[in-house]
Amino acid sequence: MRYAILVVLSVPIVFLALMNIVTQYKTKKIQLARFRYQLIVWAVIFVVLVGSFPVYNIIKHKPILDSSELSLFDIVQTTTLVYVIYVMNDYRRRIEQGERAIRDLNQQLSIKLSGKNGSR
Amino acid sequence: MSTPNKKRIALVLPAYNEGQVVRSVVADLTSAFSKAAYTYQIIVVDDCSSDNTSSEAASAGAYVIRHLINTGSGGATATGLRYCEEHDFDIAITCDADGQHAAEDVISGVRKLIEQDADLLIGSRLLQGGEMSRTKILGNAGLSIITNLLFGVRVTDSQSGLRVFSRRALAVLRWKSSGYEFCSEMLWRARQSGLLIGEFPIRSIYTEYSKAKGQNNWNAVNIIKSLLQRRIIELFE
Repeated sequence: MRYAILVVLSVPIVFLALMNIVTQYKTKKIQLARFRYQLIVWAVIFVVLVGSFPVYNIIKHKPILDSSELSLFDIVQTTTLVYVIYVMNDYRRRIEQGERAIRDLNQQLSIKLSGKNGSR
Repeated sequence: MSTPNKKRIALVLPAYNEGQVVRSVVADLTSAFSKAAYTYQIIVVDDCSSDNTSSEAASAGAYVIRHLINTGSGGATATGLRYCEEHDFDIAITCDADGQHAAEDVISGVRKLIEQDADLLIGSRLLQGGEMSRTKILGNAGLSIITNLLFGVRVTDSQSGLRVFSRRALAVLRWKSSGYEFCSEMLWRARQSGLLIGEFPIRSIYTEYSKAKGQNNWNAVNIIKSLLQRRIIELFE
């Protein structure tokens, strides 16, 4: 039951991240190779999130969905971690876009404003 | 087919507060390239210096692009190369504005790029013995190893400022870093773009001025930190 709560809380965040990736690809902000790569990264996070506990139970010879060892703190911590990765990545992307825009603007303006005085 | 000397060459010097030396560096390059009968232009990208870098460079005959905001060495180099791309240069060379590179090595880089038909040539200060101190050798070799481990690019001097770019490299090379870590990131992007990367030996000239202004190994720690960050970030891009 506790494990089910963890999955129910965390999986929507992974789906949100996947949706973002698909949106970026469909709006042509990222290329196919990058799209595939990001899908793999988040798919790995999803598989680890959903699969690690059952695998642990199998290794320990316990019922596959037995989550008695999972505390409320574990659930909150893991969900928060996944959420923080998602939010950080989203903000980082926005900051980088802003930085790039400023850098491009600086480049273009600097080139345009520079007086021609030494060409050969 | 055009002869080597018919190629339009751009020399890009990213500069920040190099007012003391930039005039003599531009003059040396002008003299060497005029003797070699190349069609060239010297471009100094003044990264918003607080001294007279722009006026000194302009009075020595360089074309000066003055940044509106300070962006760091990576940003200044990117601006210079963008100018070269927009103005249809065949070959672009970046070199340090503190006089660390010999003009003969710059010319040698142009010749080697044409001979080898490479896209990006790195002038390596470690391929032949020189004036570099053991501490600097250690720092540069360490950064080259880290560049190799993180990005899979094997060069002996990943931090060298003397680089020669083909027209193809100018068209495809883009990087995100603004600081000194751009040197390694540029190699990574070149590898990702399938550019042919090579090296050629150069010597480095260390004056009291360049020693005082140059990077020390503590900066290398910052560079490593930024490179690691960049590598991890790329996992989510």
